[in-house]
Amino acid sequence: MGVTAKPIFVQGAIPATMVAQCVQQYAAETTVGAYSCFIGQVRADVVGGKSVTAIEYTAYTAMVDEHLEAIAVDVCQRYALNGIVVKHSLGTVLAGEICLFVLAAAGHRRPAMDACGELVERIKSELPIWGKEHFAGEEYQWKTNQ
Amino acid sequence: MVSNTLSVQFFGQLIELTGCSNVGAPQVDDTDELLRWLYTRYPALQKATYVIAVDRKIVRQNTRLATHAEIAFLPPFSGG
Repeated sequence: MGVTAKPIFVQGAIPATMVAQCVQQYAAETTVGAYSCFIGQVRADVVGGKSVTAIEYTAYTAMVDEHLEAIAVDVCQRYALNGIVVKHSLGTVLAGEICLFVLAAAGHRRPAMDACGELVERIKSELPIWGKEHFAGEEYQWKTNQ
Repeated sequence: MVSNTLSVQFFGQLIELTGCSNVGAPQVDDTDELLRWLYTRYPALQKATYVIAVDRKIVRQNTRLATHAEIAFLPPFSGG
C-alpha cells in the first residue's frame, strides 16, 4: 500500500462511506493491527449571533501535493506505518458535513494513534489550504486555525 | 519593454486584497525586488500577513528568482 492514496482532494463534502472504503483498502495487509483516524466536520460556529452555514475551501494544490508527500514519507518512516490516507475537501462543505479524513495504519495502536495526531496537526499548520466561513446571506469571514 | 515572465499567484484573502488570483511580473533578480514591484501595484499587500513560496517551497529570506519561477503569496493556512 502506498504512503498516501492520491488524489487527496475531494470536491465538496467527504462521504462517510469513503471512510469505510479507505479502511477496506488495507484488508489484504495482515501486518496491520491498528488503524487510527481523524474525521473533521464543519461546525456551525456562532459569531456575533450568526451561525456558520458552510465552509468554502481553496488550496494551492500543486504545493499541497508536494508537501503532503514529504510529510507522509517522514511520518510513515518515523512511526513505521503501513500507510496513511488523507482526504480533504475543496469547494463548499455545509455545516454537519465531513471536510477532512486522516487514517494511519500500523502494526500496533500506539504508533497509529500518535502518527494520526501528528498528521492532523501538520495538515492544519503546514498545508496551503484556506477556509472561508459563510454565514446566512452574503456575509463571510476567513477561517483561522487555533 | 520588459516582458512579464514571472508568474505570481495569490490565494485566500489576498485575492480580494489584490483583486486578482495571478499576475505576470517582470523577470526581477530576487524576491525583495519583486516585493517592491508588487507593493507599488498593490499597496494593500504591504499590510497583509503572508508567506512567499518559490517553486512551491516557502522562503523566509530574500531569494534569487530563476527565469519562469513560480511565486505564490500565501495567507495564514486554515485547512481542516
